[in-house]
Amino acid sequence: MKRILWILVLSLFFHSCEKDDICTPETPTTPRLIIEFYDSENTSVLKQVANLAVKGQGLNTALNFNLVSKIELPLKTSEDQTLYDFTINSTSATSVFNVDKIEINYTRRDIYISRACGFKTYYSLNLLNPVVETNPENDTVLWIKDINVIKNNIENEDNVHVKIFF
Amino acid sequence: MSKYFFSIGFYLFSISLMAQEQTKDSIPVKTERYGVRVGVDLFKIGKSVFEDGYQGIELVGDYRLTKNYYLAGELGNENRTVQEDRLNFTTKGTYFKVGFDYNVYENWLDMENLVYVGFRIGVSSHSQELNTYKVYNRNPYLGEAPDVISGAKFDGLSAQWGEFILGVKAELFSNVYAGFSARIHFLVNETELDGFENLYIPGFNKTYGGSFGVGFNYTISYFIPIYKKKIEPKIAKP
Repeated sequence: MKRILWILVLSLFFHSCEKDDICTPETPTTPRLIIEFYDSENTSVLKQVANLAVKGQGLNTALNFNLVSKIELPLKTSEDQTLYDFTINSTSATSVFNVDKIEINYTRRDIYISRACGFKTYYSLNLLNPVVETNPENDTVLWIKDINVIKNNIENEDNVHVKIFF
Repeated sequence: MSKYFFSIGFYLFSISLMAQEQTKDSIPVKTERYGVRVGVDLFKIGKSVFEDGYQGIELVGDYRLTKNYYLAGELGNENRTVQEDRLNFTTKGTYFKVGFDYNVYENWLDMENLVYVGFRIGVSSHSQELNTYKVYNRNPYLGEAPDVISGAKFDGLSAQWGEFILGVKAELFSNVYAGFSARIHFLVNETELDGFENLYIPGFNKTYGGSFGVGFNYTISYFIPIYKKKIEPKIAKP
């Protein structure tokens, strides 16, 4: 009887252990927009960007890319539009420095991943005006010559979604 | 020498005769009581009081079938809201478990304590509601998005599972028992959710994608005797 009561008391201690559940880094989560840059003169040839600064509207810091032909940009998960300023030759003070405004329009779907990771957002670029390019005020030069959407559905980072020609 | 042996042998023989006479005359007939034991899980009641977002109750019962076998079961209801790092959900539902307990404890005299192993089949009927969630974004350059309020509700869910049990029941005082059981659950089947998953199953407890779970209860129960069975005393062979 006494021994059984002891087992009861001891058993109070071992229910406090719970299994950990973590979101592993390999788990695919919200994908970024993958953009590849091509030569506008020879549209099948990849072209590297020089000191490209991509700045989200209203933000103070930029994402910087140099001597690459492929970049990855996060999109807003709570709005159907993301605005970026693309500045080419951003470190140069001369006339080669140029800013183009890029507006990315899409619809969103939130997809369940797991208890630990929560949800991820899948995007679908609009068919009508997926990526819109404009000049800032007092600027008449568009350094980006053309934009092509390759893949409307953004569900992973394995494929290129948009091609930019300059 | 032989005389000496003979007297010892005679002496032992007479003792064995005496012993046999004693078993027939002086040991009272042992009886075992059979009946129904009903109780409640104290842990779930305590948790309902002390933990925010949890309301639950579990009624337990067993019926003694033979010397060592008991028909046993649990009936419970749970309403639980869980705040995870990246989501918040509420699961509501009822469960029922039925199976057997086998007492492996040999009681002294007329004690009626149990150390038992058991098996259950469990079934739940529940619903799950996703309250809020966060979108996982490894590149929060544009800032962390606020929690998304969902409210998606998944009704008519069910799960079936089995449980292996190790437990004790000790009689504290007349007909009142304190019990503890530790359980290993293994999921057999569950309703698949479209775009979500069962994160908690009433009676089964947490699920982590894997099909194993653990559980326990601390019960207080009352034994209602229905009839008695006489136990024939075992007579040792001489």
